[in-house]
Amino acid sequence: MQRLLIIFTVLLLLSSCKSTVVYEEYPTVYQTGDNKNWAEKNFNAAQWTTERGNTAKGIFWSRSPVKLIRSSAVPMGLHIEAFGAFEVYWDGILLGHNGQITQKDKPEVAGYTTSYFQIPDSLAHMGTHILALRTSQSYLNGVKRPVGIELNQYPALLRNPLIITSFMNLMAGAFLIAAVYYFFLYLNSRRKEYSILIFAVICSLFFSLLIAEYIKFYIAIPYTHFFIRLEIIGWLTFAIAILVPLYFSIQFHFNRKKILLITLFMILISVYLVNYDHFDLTAIVYSRVMWFTAVIIVLNAIVQKEKGGFIVLMGLLASAIVNHFLLYDFGLFISFTLIILCMLYLHALRARIIEDEFQSSLLLSSRLQLELIKKNIQPHFLRNTLTSLMDWVEESPKQGAEFIQALAGEFDIMNYIAEAVLIPIRQEIELCKTHLKVMHFRKEICYEWEESGIDEAEYLPPALIHTLLENGITHSIPIANSLITFKLTYLRTAVYKQYTFETHALNREVSKKRNGGNGFRYIQARLTESYGDRWKFISAAIPGGWLTTIQIYDK
Amino acid sequence: MMRILIIEDEARIAKRIERMTRNHFEQNIAAIAICDSLQKGLVYIANHPIDILLLDLNLNGENGFDILESMVAGSFHTIIVSAYTDKAIDAFTYGVLDFVPKPFDQARLSMAFRRITNSGKTTESTMKYLAVKKAGITRLIAIKDVLYIKGAGIYSELYLQDGKQELHDKSMEMLEQLLPGSFERIHKSYLISLDQAEKIIIRPGSSYSLLLKNGEILPIGRSRYKELKRKMI
Repeated sequence: MQRLLIIFTVLLLLSSCKSTVVYEEYPTVYQTGDNKNWAEKNFNAAQWTTERGNTAKGIFWSRSPVKLIRSSAVPMGLHIEAFGAFEVYWDGILLGHNGQITQKDKPEVAGYTTSYFQIPDSLAHMGTHILALRTSQSYLNGVKRPVGIELNQYPALLRNPLIITSFMNLMAGAFLIAAVYYFFLYLNSRRKEYSILIFAVICSLFFSLLIAEYIKFYIAIPYTHFFIRLEIIGWLTFAIAILVPLYFSIQFHFNRKKILLITLFMILISVYLVNYDHFDLTAIVYSRVMWFTAVIIVLNAIVQKEKGGFIVLMGLLASAIVNHFLLYDFGLFISFTLIILCMLYLHALRARIIEDEFQSSLLLSSRLQLELIKKNIQPHFLRNTLTSLMDWVEESPKQGAEFIQALAGEFDIMNYIAEAVLIPIRQEIELCKTHLKVMHFRKEICYEWEESGIDEAEYLPPALIHTLLENGITHSIPIANSLITFKLTYLRTAVYKQYTFETHALNREVSKKRNGGNGFRYIQARLTESYGDRWKFISAAIPGGWLTTIQIYDK
Repeated sequence: MMRILIIEDEARIAKRIERMTRNHFEQNIAAIAICDSLQKGLVYIANHPIDILLLDLNLNGENGFDILESMVAGSFHTIIVSAYTDKAIDAFTYGVLDFVPKPFDQARLSMAFRRITNSGKTTESTMKYLAVKKAGITRLIAIKDVLYIKGAGIYSELYLQDGKQELHDKSMEMLEQLLPGSFERIHKSYLISLDQAEKIIIRPGSSYSLLLKNGEILPIGRSRYKELKRKMI
């Protein structure tokens, strides 16, 4: 990637240096008023000043001497960057006009900021030439923009911007794709990660910035609208200068995010106010401020031993070097590109972490499956059940057989649901009921099952209620007549589904404070597995027993 | 006459244990009680003297192992009846008389009870600690730190390497049933660790005594001299 960038850079440099026309420019001089002779090559403009002065809405002339040192056989062209509407004279010959100069009864038709003219071969000989402009600047009269001149082969004048634009559009396209991709990623990912959104926004801002910067090559902008584009570029740069450090601070877990960002914002605002109207300068300062902030965050990240910190620092340094050696226009964009590449790299790191998390969640799922299967083969359950079973078979074989049936029933259901992530609620209830039958034989306590509002179409992770039931059996003392009642209630509201599970019994005293134990961990892990963080689990003693509430939120 | 406490939270199993215990001891039972939780069991023990405790290690989700220390410090023998067979080795190091894994039958439970009635050691003991209760706090003493044990009626006095003495609630006879084979009865009142024995001193008039490595001299019972001499060589 780095190599590609270098080639890219060299290409850009070449495309802008290819000019075979060599010339020298002399200071442009101005004169208010109107005289056709002022276009003449031999007119003595010694009295004219280099200051335009107050021209108001009137007509003024400018003369820019140019000394052609080397010309070419290919037709020569003239590229002018100037405000106002003007007629262009080359050695006294009218080459063309840009807009319509103010006339007595007609207002000015604004010219474009950028204009190109062909110079006839007969006037393209070596030596000094005079470029005279007959100008009116009815709008934005206070802005005294100097006249910018470029001489080159006419085809090159038209082609060079296309080459630059093609590269920049290439880059813009990449950012557009990235922006769209990350937007979709954000919208469709279950866990809304702000860093993804921020990255998408940065990419789209950067796309807009590139488009805004180079739109000048394919849309002719009347000088009256010249500043709109610059204003847009300024604010885009401003936003990027805020968001890039924000992104880094999130990715690198910067501790004092707020302080840093507020400070950054204040600095950028003051830069804006201090350099008001100096558009290019403002953008450069913005990008420097952004760079320094990013460096602070990255250095902090390196101190914190964050992953990828060092590589991003390298990227930032590289962007500084590029920025230093290249013209502002390209430098800014290439350094931005480098920074965004760094961000992309961070993203790849992040994606790796997410992938790892996914792997471990798969692992968790299989662990939970195992946990479920273990429920029925763990020694406490199995050996105690077998002991009771032995006793029943020895003492009253008939009931012993019933006991065996019940146990087989519980094993059947367990076997059936062992690999499921969600099971119909009815199946869960059947599991609970067979378990109660088994436990009745073991503990010789009467267990009663009640339910209300059950929606048969609902699904739940397997053995959630079963686990609560086990806890209820273990930690309860029957009230009167050796009776413990369990009640499962389902409730649907606009926002959530709720299961409440009540145990009506006396709670056993516990010698040590319990915080749930394995059972609760199983339930919570199962809920997370199926519902992410959209659930709530509360389990606590109530007068007359125990109450557990599971809420599952729709969103 | 045996006084027996069963701590077991499953009614059916508790009744099974009770029935089998009665079958084994027949008329020799003075009292038999069932508690379905540790708390109730502890209260019962505090108020009633018992000879045998039959304890389940997992009661209502609580780990009975935590209180095993204080149980084995008591004056009674403890027999574990548990589903957690993997805990058996640990339980023996604390000095339980036997570990009966669930599911069990009459034969297995009776085998455990016979250990009580058979004096002396029955199997190779793996006991590593002696739990001693002092002012309500149970402390574990490593068996390798015990020099010898002196019988004192229903109690025993433990003489330790560091010169200290501790009182144990079990009688010396009961401890003898639990302790590893390196402990030898040399006298009706003395049980010593053979590792600590230096040599036998014979005094005129067939009076034997044992010189310990720390210089202490303990009497040897006339009837035990031969057996001891054989073991010391």
